[in-house]
Amino acid sequence: MKNKNGLGVVFRKTVRQNSGMTLLTGILIAACVAAALFPPLVLEQMVNRLTGRQAVSLVLPLGYFGLLALSDLLESGQSVMITVFGQKMAHSLRSELCAKLKRLPAAYFTQHAPAKITSRFVNDVDVVDSLFTNGIIGMVADAFKVLSILMVIFYKSTGLGILMLLVTPALFAMTRLFQKRMLKAQLANRVAVSKVNNHVPETIHNIRTIHTLFRQKYMEEKYDSYIEESYRALDKSNLYDSIYSPIVIFVSSCVIAVMMVFAALGGGMQQFFGITVGTAVAIIAYVGKVFEPLESIGMEIQNIQSAVAGVKRINEFLSERERTVPEGTSNRAFSDANGESAISFDNVEFGYDDKTVVLQDMSFSVQQGEAVTFIGRTGAGKSTLFKLILGLYAPQKGQVLINGIDAAQISDKQKRKLFGYVEQTFHSVAGTVAEQISLFDDSIGQKQIEEAAKLVGLHENIMELDQRYNTPVEKLTFSQGQFQLLSIARAVASQPKILLLDEITANLDSETELRVLQGLERACKGRTVLSISHRLNESTHSSRLIQIGE
Amino acid sequence: MSSTNQNIKQVSQPDHILSYFKMERWSLTLVTISGILYNVGMIAGPYFEGRLAQCLFDIMGGRESFSAMLSLAVVYLIVILAVQVMRCVKRFYVRRFANNTSRNMRHMLYNSLVNMSRDELERESIGTVMTKAVSDVDACAEGMRKFTTEVFDTGVVLIAYLAMLFYYDWRLTLISCAFTPVAYFIAGRLKHRVTQYNGTYKKSAERLNGATMDRVSNAVTYRIYSCDKNRDLAYEGYLRDYEKCAVAANFWENTMQPLYHIISMCGVIFVLYLGGKNVTGTGWSNWNIAAFTTFLSCFAKMALKSSKTAKLFNSVQKAQVSWARIKPLMKEYVEQSTLSDMDFSAGASIKVRDLSLRWENGQQVLHGISFSAQPGQIIGVTGAVASGKSMLGKALLGELPYEGSIEVDERELRTLSLYERSRLLSYLGHEPELMTESIEENIRLGEKGEIARCLKTVCLADEICKMPQGAATSVGSGGIRLSGGQQARLALARTCYHARQILILDDPFSAVDQKTEREIFANLRLLAADRIVILISHRLQLFPQLDHVLFLEHGTSVLSTHSALMRGNSTYETLYQAQAMGGAGHEE
Repeated sequence: MKNKNGLGVVFRKTVRQNSGMTLLTGILIAACVAAALFPPLVLEQMVNRLTGRQAVSLVLPLGYFGLLALSDLLESGQSVMITVFGQKMAHSLRSELCAKLKRLPAAYFTQHAPAKITSRFVNDVDVVDSLFTNGIIGMVADAFKVLSILMVIFYKSTGLGILMLLVTPALFAMTRLFQKRMLKAQLANRVAVSKVNNHVPETIHNIRTIHTLFRQKYMEEKYDSYIEESYRALDKSNLYDSIYSPIVIFVSSCVIAVMMVFAALGGGMQQFFGITVGTAVAIIAYVGKVFEPLESIGMEIQNIQSAVAGVKRINEFLSERERTVPEGTSNRAFSDANGESAISFDNVEFGYDDKTVVLQDMSFSVQQGEAVTFIGRTGAGKSTLFKLILGLYAPQKGQVLINGIDAAQISDKQKRKLFGYVEQTFHSVAGTVAEQISLFDDSIGQKQIEEAAKLVGLHENIMELDQRYNTPVEKLTFSQGQFQLLSIARAVASQPKILLLDEITANLDSETELRVLQGLERACKGRTVLSISHRLNESTHSSRLIQIGE
Repeated sequence: MSSTNQNIKQVSQPDHILSYFKMERWSLTLVTISGILYNVGMIAGPYFEGRLAQCLFDIMGGRESFSAMLSLAVVYLIVILAVQVMRCVKRFYVRRFANNTSRNMRHMLYNSLVNMSRDELERESIGTVMTKAVSDVDACAEGMRKFTTEVFDTGVVLIAYLAMLFYYDWRLTLISCAFTPVAYFIAGRLKHRVTQYNGTYKKSAERLNGATMDRVSNAVTYRIYSCDKNRDLAYEGYLRDYEKCAVAANFWENTMQPLYHIISMCGVIFVLYLGGKNVTGTGWSNWNIAAFTTFLSCFAKMALKSSKTAKLFNSVQKAQVSWARIKPLMKEYVEQSTLSDMDFSAGASIKVRDLSLRWENGQQVLHGISFSAQPGQIIGVTGAVASGKSMLGKALLGELPYEGSIEVDERELRTLSLYERSRLLSYLGHEPELMTESIEENIRLGEKGEIARCLKTVCLADEICKMPQGAATSVGSGGIRLSGGQQARLALARTCYHARQILILDDPFSAVDQKTEREIFANLRLLAADRIVILISHRLQLFPQLDHVLFLEHGTSVLSTHSALMRGNSTYETLYQAQAMGGAGHEE
């Protein structure tokens, strides 16, 4: 699947959706550029009058102030509009990233740490936001400022105009040089910072191991080496940063000096530079103004540089290969009376990559209402089996059929009614206990939630909590076994036809296991149940065993 | 680790912000010298530009020669160059100061973090506080940098400009500068509103980040349960809220500055009008063109500077907020003592007598636990869920307060230092606790030596050989690239590699199948021939092979052997039978 939703597309979409606002931003920027041109011209008038020993009326000072105030107000307006625009952009981009989550294959989430993906959403989008607000838009406005001032300078003094035409490209070349050096340093810093940031939560998580193995010093040295890495990169970037702007200011002084010297030559030269004293004062103001935006272009380039990496990562994320989102199928999949096996594997071959085959020539079928247990060694591919049934992965060869329908064709929504999946460990979501069970599904009411909890024998425990079903999950003091029961409650809440149980008792002792299994027995009535176990116990007695691997 | 870290310094009195300024004396001295020179030199620009215009005026009037302009231009360039070099030095060293400070703060914070007990970290979720604090360091160092910069760039430069203005015409200066305090006053009044909007914005960002983390880390769960659409809608709500708050905060922070500028610039009307009178000889002072342009550009630069001071207040305030959060976490540097009069090379025994353990709320969980073990023995600990198995393991590790006695190598456990305990006891808990490193580094953790034997012990060698990079394969964050069984075995390998005299293993086999479990156990037996192994488990298939079994029941324990328990304890027998029956069928 080719990338059709890069940053550029999101940008165009945002512009289209907010065309009025975009237009207003453009107008404000143009007005801002124009307004900045006038004050020096008023100043020129004044100085020329003064050198002619003429008195200055109050009109010119008032006009000067008025123009300054106008240009300030426009600048304010410009900065507000740019912020609004940047935030709209960030919003659309995050929505786009979020939508992408749905389309990513399940494999993506096992290969990429959640923290890394989250950082695409949080840090990289922030960077792109600043790319627009303090980067591109600002730079366009500044570039226009430079151009318009250059034009005025040309009009006032051809000689100086030519001089500026020579200097400006040279300054840009220098800016480019700095740009490249700084980008390198900043990328290095970013890598180091992500290591630093990863190290702290990891230390907190692993603190027991660190203490029992007495590895505090080792961890500290590691941390210090990461901060040192970041320090060095930052120091380099700071060096370039400190040199750049002083060079620009010195160059602007050189231009002023050269202009004044040539003007002082008199005769043809003075003609060429076309300078009166008033023009000289105005032009000194202009030269300062050309280099001001040039200097901010330098800063903006720096912002753009640090954004390049972020943009690259976002584009990479957006162009990740997508899964084929199943469009759904006729409701045949839900009628268990269609005579088909509930689940059947037909010569299935599957591997997560091209190199290793996990399942080979796998064939079996499970009848409606049957209970089956898969057994086999660690790594034999038992959990993989479930992922194929759930349609998270597609087999390379053969077919996986659910009620006679290809698993890949069943839509996510249909699956909700079909499967209840209990994983080895409980994955809590941000919300209350009730939401752990309902997973924010509106169609599951409080009554169904409580029924599910009663079924697994958790209702009493939940009622003992301070806020009962509304207790936030962070405040939940459940044991591992209780969390696993919660996970089962979640699976049965939507009344699925097929239950998939992946080692649900791996972390439970026999007694709790018994409690869980008794609850399950009630839940399993009339359902097809597939379970995985590498240990057998009485629960498996009534079910058919299927051996995976040798 | 390596010599590159010599520059990172220990900070004494790390909870005083001044300590960090003091540590950077050298950088700050350079900043002070160059800062003062640069900022005083700032007035050279307007001054010389005025002189240049005047000179041109004089040449055109025939009162000066060309060479005067030439030499003036040369002096102008030299002065500007010197001033800009000073600026360079100031800019660089003030950034280095911030960089050093941030490095030292992080170093100190991490030291106190890594030496906190697990208990402390879990209590009041200090862990999250710590994670946040590390990001606060940047805000804090940035605020310190801005403060230092602005002391010179605003403080010194404003004084220099004012002095210059007063020199030219004190009455005009008083009138034209009267507007600046108005700008300050308004900035001061609006300050709390800026902070308030910023606070709302921060909170909204936090909520959005939480929602993002949840949406991403549960992506597969949500998909399986078909909740994608629902969650996207909720996420969209967070996004809208964030956008609104961000725009509002930004509005208050950034749009005010041009307004302050306008207010400060009101004075320019007087400068131009009255200054013009000065030039034409009808004002308070007698000015030439040089004086006029110098005064004007000095005034303009000053107005611009003072409009930015509000920003300085904001950044200093932000830094203060960050510092207030970090300050209580800043502790004196801790160096764990490695002094001990114990001999760790010989085998150690363990003797537990009448041990009682309680929850934090005082409720008793276990009482009257007694057992002892000699090197070479393996003791199994089992019981129903919540019978206190894991708690006993943590108590034996020395992590929990206890009543009664636990003697390790004939010393009471609670009197031993962290170092002594780490030399006597090894522990493996439910969590594999892996680092974002290679497989090899996860085992060695900085120690030198062969890892091959340990990999064999835990039956991981073959699987690792098949990986393209072998033991150099990175396990990813928290071991995510390995399967659950591989993670557990890698953690066990690490424990074996660092094995001490007494190994406490809490359910090490829960993620491996029975056949592998037996293989690993046989290897472990060899490895621990002269050590004590305390095997906590609810899987009983290995228990017939153990020297003793400690069965936890009704809050106390029975120390016996497998065969005796099978005969005398019906609960134990039922448990074992239930598991053994299933296991028999599995071997076919």
